[in-house]
Amino acid sequence: MFKDLDPILHSQLRLAVMSLLIGVKEAEFTFIKEKTNATAGNLSVQIQKLKEAGYIDVIKQFKDNYPQTICKVTRQGIDAFEQYVANLQTYLGKG
Amino acid sequence: MDHNEKKLTEKESLELIAAMITKAKDSYHSTGTAAMMWGAVVAICALVRLAELQFGFKLPFDIYLLTLVAIIPQVLISIREKKERKVKSYDETYMDYIWLGFGICLFLLIHAVNLMFRAWEPAAEAYSQLSGKNGFPLYEYVHPLFLILYGLPTFITGAACKFRPMLWGGLFCWACSVATVYTPFKTDLLLTALSAIAAWFIPGLFMEKEYRAYKKQQAALNV
Repeated sequence: MFKDLDPILHSQLRLAVMSLLIGVKEAEFTFIKEKTNATAGNLSVQIQKLKEAGYIDVIKQFKDNYPQTICKVTRQGIDAFEQYVANLQTYLGKG
Repeated sequence: MDHNEKKLTEKESLELIAAMITKAKDSYHSTGTAAMMWGAVVAICALVRLAELQFGFKLPFDIYLLTLVAIIPQVLISIREKKERKVKSYDETYMDYIWLGFGICLFLLIHAVNLMFRAWEPAAEAYSQLSGKNGFPLYEYVHPLFLILYGLPTFITGAACKFRPMLWGGLFCWACSVATVYTPFKTDLLLTALSAIAAWFIPGLFMEKEYRAYKKQQAALNV
């Protein structure tokens, strides 16, 4: 039976962000921006949505007097991502 | 590229996940500076000690103190590399702990060996005087201990990071540790120097080359 894909993850930029963060301990906002080729504004909005869903933690701090934003995936985010991939495989396996 | 809320097909989603995971994996390259420095420092220490024995001179200080001095540039290199890092992977975190643990083990081993020598020397001297024979040459068995230790983090790093030069370097240290059990002290020093070059200096050169290529590629992408 097909399960609905998580709408938070089933969006190109948010999925790209989660896929980047899933394999690393933490990453800076600038790194995510560089790898996804997204605009800073759009990326901020999508990161905020992932944060509100509890999928990532966002830490804002200062590094050498410059603001730095660090993102890391939460346990809830890992579970959601794994479930999303399992559901995708169900679709593709039966398609 | 506009990613804003764009819905994907299932196949596109999987492709995007795979592409992003690959990008994250390829995101960090060590400069190789620390590996080259430690390879050079340990090799220099062993070779200078060998020269002292071979040519009968003595430096006014213990050449192995250079390893303590090298901690200062190591700290500076670590701080600089940490500043440059925009992403921290789990692998790097584990490797940091492994090498930190190696450093601690190394100094504990040096401490234990020094204590052992202090206890052993008077006993060996007394034995020689009483029996007229040479005492047990304990110093002949020190290098294998260090080489076993050198090989461990090097092999783990090489295997975990799929970095063959370090993997072979670690194996070379272990092969030399077996050889040094049977070879005289001067040969032990030479094999220690070769191990340091094989385990750290040469892999460091490869790392630096990869790092330069990565930086060049990044610069080309940003143009």
